[in-house]
Amino acid sequence: MSDDGARHEAVRATADGPPAIVLRDVDRRWGRERVLRGVSLEVAAGRIVALRGRNGSGKTTLLRLLATRLRPSSGRGAIFGHDLVREGAAVRRRIAYQSVQSGSYGALTARENLALAATLTGAPHARIDDALRRVGLGSHAGRLVRVFSSGMKRRLGLARLLLADADLWLLDEPYASLDEDGRELVDDLLAEARHDGRTVLIASHEPERLIGRVDAALEMEQGVLRAAPLTAPVPVEAPVEATA
Amino acid sequence: MNDLAALLSITAKDLRSEARSRAATVATVFFSSVTLVVLAFALGRDADLMTRAAPGALWVALAFSGVISAAQAYQSDLVDGAFEQLLTLPVPRAAVFLGKLLANWLTMTLLGAVLLPVSSVLFDAPIGAGVGLLLLTIALGTLGFAVIATFYAALTANLQARESLLPVLMFPVVVPVLLASVRATDAIVTGGDTGLATDWIQLLAGFDLVYLVVTSTIFHIVVEE
Repeated sequence: MSDDGARHEAVRATADGPPAIVLRDVDRRWGRERVLRGVSLEVAAGRIVALRGRNGSGKTTLLRLLATRLRPSSGRGAIFGHDLVREGAAVRRRIAYQSVQSGSYGALTARENLALAATLTGAPHARIDDALRRVGLGSHAGRLVRVFSSGMKRRLGLARLLLADADLWLLDEPYASLDEDGRELVDDLLAEARHDGRTVLIASHEPERLIGRVDAALEMEQGVLRAAPLTAPVPVEAPVEATA
Repeated sequence: MNDLAALLSITAKDLRSEARSRAATVATVFFSSVTLVVLAFALGRDADLMTRAAPGALWVALAFSGVISAAQAYQSDLVDGAFEQLLTLPVPRAAVFLGKLLANWLTMTLLGAVLLPVSSVLFDAPIGAGVGLLLLTIALGTLGFAVIATFYAALTANLQARESLLPVLMFPVVVPVLLASVRATDAIVTGGDTGLATDWIQLLAGFDLVYLVVTSTIFHIVVEE
């Protein structure tokens, strides 16, 4: 239950298919602060869902919780039927998480970073060079990542996504730091994810760019999750009602 | 995925990073060398006292260098959110811990193997006949130290005061390992008492086993927020 006095109904991003993500009344606290408030969510497999909201609204916390980096303070959740807390290892086998940071080791080369990721995810090392070429880093494969620009580091993160054959992508601001070419690459990856039947939850401050690329949108406002229209940001004073 | 391959790839990553940055290596070699030289200089002319002080000096140098090394253990992971990324991959938390531990242990053991002949010369402490037992003592002593150091370094990695908190938290726990290591080294170097040394080495191995099982079992609690 939330402090708002009423239990939030599940925000159902899509209506059909087995659920990729299920959250029920999830709260997350940092000390006394409630960063997530009674979040309930159900996302069917194979759908691409935008998550938007102001800075500090709880988007990253929600993504980190789904990536098993944070435990819910209360409530429960599951990814493809695997409990987020009790079956974290099984959850991590189905997801790929790209945080707002690059997630790469500066003292390793781009290829070494991907080789490490391939070993740890069980992905074939034969995909590494293809992934690097795909994100435009083919000619930088042997360079140390610490000399990369932030945009190049973001591209390396996208290459890591391509390596792992994950069923659910959790993307936190994937367009950040990228030039137009890089942003189009993200658009292409979303299109491919749709084609391949992956589920994607994508936090972004660019709702206009996601129009036509996502199936549904969610709005996070002060830790409360609500359904949102696909066309424009939701006014803070008139949030769209959650749909069950 | 093979958990052993994951563990070894994390170790290789840490060793490769350190080989390129040399951040911990330079600091630990410099600090331990200065420690040994200053202690040898302070004890000066009393040959018997120097020989008796050699085991303690060796482990003081190793322990304080180990803290410096441990404080660096997660620094490359924290830059650019690499550790966050690592923890979202399908790798058992214990494999992450043991991979980082193995890198720390190898680094400390190598340092111990270098400091052993240096301290032998500086403190006029003979190691010839007992070199095998001494190397075993260093391997087991640094293992126990590295287990605790790697665990507490993870615990304090995200804290601003981590460099001051780390020794405060870990030294009370690691004291049994240090005492057993010093006693075993002392029995070999000054007494040549193989039986007594073996007793201490067995105790040291017991500490290592307990620390290893406990820390690798509860590591996931430390890294999950």
